Amino acid sequence: MRFEDLDKITDRMRKVMSLREGSSQAKITVHMGTCGLSAGARKIMKALIQCADETATKDVIFSTSACAGLCSREPMITIELAGQAPVKYVDLTEEKAKRIFSEHIVNGKIVAEYALAIGSEQTL
Amino acid sequence: MNGKIGSVLVAGSGIGGMQAALDLAESGFKVYLVEEGPAIGGTMAQLDKTFPTNDCAMCTLAPRLVDCGRHPNIEKLTYSELLSLEGQPGHFRARVRKKPRFVDPAKCTGCGECAAACLVRNRGYFEADEPEPLDLEADQLAEIERLVQEHGSEPSSIVPVLQGISAKYRWLPPGAVRRVSEVLGLPLARVLRIATFYNMFSFEPRGKHLIKVCLGTACHVKGAGRILDTLSRELEIQVGETTKDRRFTLEAVRCLGCCGLAPVVTVNDDVHGKLTAGEFLKVLDLYPG
Amino acid sequence: MKSCHTHLLLCAGTGCVSNGSYRIKEALERELGRHNLQDEVAVVMTGCNGFCAQGPVMTVQPDGIFYQLLSDADIPPLVEEHFLKGRPVQRLMYTPPETQAPIPKMSEIGFFKKQRLIALRNRGLIDPENIEEYIARGGYRGLAKALGAMTPERIIEEIKNSQLRGRGGAGYPTGVKWQSAARHQSDVKYIICNADEGDPGAFMDRSIIEGDPHAVLEGMAIAGRAVGSGHGLVYIRAEYPIALERLNLAIKQAREYGLLGKAIFDTDFDFDISVFQGAGAFVCGESSAMRASIQGEPPEPSAKHTHATEAGLWEKPTVLNNVETLAVVPEIIRRGAAWFAGIGTEQSKGTKVFSLVGKVKNTGLVEVPMGTTLRDIIFDIGGGIQGDRKFKAVQTGGPSGGCLPASLLDMPVDYERLAEAGSMMGSGGMIVMDEDTCMVDVARYFLDFLRDESCGKCTACREGVDAMHQLVSDICAGNGKQEHLALLEELGQAVKDASMCALGSTASNPVLSTLRYFSDEYEAHIRDHRCPAGVCKALLTFGIDPEKCKACLLCNKNCPQTAISGEKKKPQKIDQEKCIKCGVCRDVCKFDAVTVQ
Repeated sequence: MRFEDLDKITDRMRKVMSLREGSSQAKITVHMGTCGLSAGARKIMKALIQCADETATKDVIFSTSACAGLCSREPMITIELAGQAPVKYVDLTEEKAKRIFSEHIVNGKIVAEYALAIGSEQTL
Repeated sequence: MNGKIGSVLVAGSGIGGMQAALDLAESGFKVYLVEEGPAIGGTMAQLDKTFPTNDCAMCTLAPRLVDCGRHPNIEKLTYSELLSLEGQPGHFRARVRKKPRFVDPAKCTGCGECAAACLVRNRGYFEADEPEPLDLEADQLAEIERLVQEHGSEPSSIVPVLQGISAKYRWLPPGAVRRVSEVLGLPLARVLRIATFYNMFSFEPRGKHLIKVCLGTACHVKGAGRILDTLSRELEIQVGETTKDRRFTLEAVRCLGCCGLAPVVTVNDDVHGKLTAGEFLKVLDLYPG
Repeated sequence: MKSCHTHLLLCAGTGCVSNGSYRIKEALERELGRHNLQDEVAVVMTGCNGFCAQGPVMTVQPDGIFYQLLSDADIPPLVEEHFLKGRPVQRLMYTPPETQAPIPKMSEIGFFKKQRLIALRNRGLIDPENIEEYIARGGYRGLAKALGAMTPERIIEEIKNSQLRGRGGAGYPTGVKWQSAARHQSDVKYIICNADEGDPGAFMDRSIIEGDPHAVLEGMAIAGRAVGSGHGLVYIRAEYPIALERLNLAIKQAREYGLLGKAIFDTDFDFDISVFQGAGAFVCGESSAMRASIQGEPPEPSAKHTHATEAGLWEKPTVLNNVETLAVVPEIIRRGAAWFAGIGTEQSKGTKVFSLVGKVKNTGLVEVPMGTTLRDIIFDIGGGIQGDRKFKAVQTGGPSGGCLPASLLDMPVDYERLAEAGSMMGSGGMIVMDEDTCMVDVARYFLDFLRDESCGKCTACREGVDAMHQLVSDICAGNGKQEHLALLEELGQAVKDASMCALGSTASNPVLSTLRYFSDEYEAHIRDHRCPAGVCKALLTFGIDPEKCKACLLCNKNCPQTAISGEKKKPQKIDQEKCIKCGVCRDVCKFDAVTVQ
């Protein structure tokens, strides 16, 4: 064990730990209500996870939530980058999801053509 | 105590008996100092130092021996036994048998020639009895050898070795304790002193299932005492005892560290928490005889 | 595990394990497999989460959803609703009785919200059996810094500046202790970790070793570097099997990773750790008794003519630190002394772990900055008294501590304040008592404990504690006399003055503090032959309220003495001659008809 080995291990474990701590650069929420599921939300989730694995992106956490209320535009995801307003994407396919991942998550550019809105509704 | 009348009998002439006899004699009573052994002084002469001041025992004892020996008010009845004592305070009648010693104490100077010249040797005072054979199974003997191999045969290995025996047999058989004393080269008294100090070691075989009732503070305020009472009553055993059918042994333990679940009882290694005494009795059904 | 997007952190502390968390784990894995989610959702067993009252508990990360009181039957619907459909299950969330509104997130539950975690920084977040998770949370960075960038003198300076004080009870400054051991030249020195957590009602040391064993190992290695020692030893209680197992595993892993053993981090520093298992004797937590115990001698304390840092174990310079103290050390080194010294009060810095137990709603382990008030701990974090009964007292500091009344609830907790109030920090047990707890009985309980655990060496402790126990037992039995109170006080003072070790010199604290704050209860026992809390058996009379009795005959059937009689459909009666006051009737009665006077 050398000093730099600690960094290597930390790096290797970063994905696991950022998930544990609930803190990360990016959070992707896949909406998985009945409508979302029947529209193929699980495939979207699998595709996104695959992207994360392939690009070895570590600071991304995945979450699921229930119906977002906009059933007609499912499958839907919400992407939150640290310090930025959340962005909702609608009417997704696996291909669209992959593109959103590589542009928005990896490069930080919002894919405006798929986006529904920036920000989220106010809650009490 | 103004009018000093009558006499006092002091039974036993150890350090306490001698001091009592001296105090009484000094205050004017006639004292009969009865001693079973052939000489006064008792056990203290065998001690090196005394608690708590670490004073030398002989320094405490010797002046009193001399004083008792010389005091005109003390009549020493050594090699004697008290046969009966009747009556009430202020008026006792004691019968004392003086055993024959075949030496006239008035003339004896204590030169020791007779002892040296005697053809029949008495057995020495400290000679130990012939040791009983170790009552140990072959596997127990082997287990102790293995533990000593593992932890070393220094005296400092005593706790891990005893723990190993206790873990395997769930008690410390007397033979095993004696064997440990032999292999670690420690006096049996020392091994016993250490083994009895710790709560973990039992000198009675434990039953098939070991029930431990936690008596930690959190458990106490939540009624652990009543659980212990109930178990003791229903199993008809006291704490530390084993049921006749050898199904359960009941022990109390000071805090298992599961205070969030208080009151807590463990059976073998299973933890049962947050139960009332009645509910706990039902848990016992899970542990057949 | 690689591509899992969700981790289920299931508590595997002793409390939750005994409530079946390993059964929950199996059920979760089975259900996740059934829904083909095993590649998305991973189940991780962590150390104690701290919220033992609600066990088994589970946190869903990254969302931070907290589930509690899980049972096998809850698992299939939970997996289907939450992990398949994304709808967290409200029914299994923590619901404070006041608001009746379930709180989904762990960070928002009152019990967790007010805590500040340093010693427990990794609790419920890492798998204690995986060293890499500890490293990923910043673990062994403190040791790396200590070895790579600091001299031993600098390490000691840092610990001194942090003003860290021993968490085991006495509160001796850790840096000063290390400095003293460092100053004495010797070929061999020892670092001993005191994990002989004997105080009934305290379990933070067990929890730290179970949940984050590497924090302790790292702390010991840093201490070893600071004082120039290559030998560490953990003295652990026999009653903690899970902790022992995880500790041994952690030592094995640390050796495999080269974090223990020869030439750590390729420096000239060698350090290894062995484990010594205690055998159940409270007094072994005392330093000189522990030393005797390790050396295979009768574990009695001895007079300390020389300090252990000069001649301790095997007559070598020895540093003895508590588990919690050592667990904090790596963070101080990593983050700097100023950070740590910025938390807490004037004389007590940092945080302290308390085991909040007894008659409080949220029992468990809590870590708060020094100076937090008792009220914050008991009412905000602990959620108040069970059944919303009246708070009577809180006992701190284990058998050597004292009981503090409601009037002191706003006292900030630190070493000095507790001592002034007649109690002590001790290892941090906090046992909350309500109006159903009899303070005389509590004093009797502690005296009984200490009488049992006194090694018997000093006459004052052996005979004095026994005499006090006899007096207090007499009071509990209704045979007390007024003059006994003064005698108790005198005896208590004598035992305090004349005993050699800390066990004896603090043994009278429970009596003296209850006499000080709850003398009215003693008076009631002595003068009126009455136990106001309804605890002391000899002073109780059980009765059945004919108004409330519904003649269900439950008490009649369950009475072990057949002391309860009565016809069917008529109120039952207790034969006082036969009654042994076991209280079974009160336990079984569903109508609250059994009265106690």
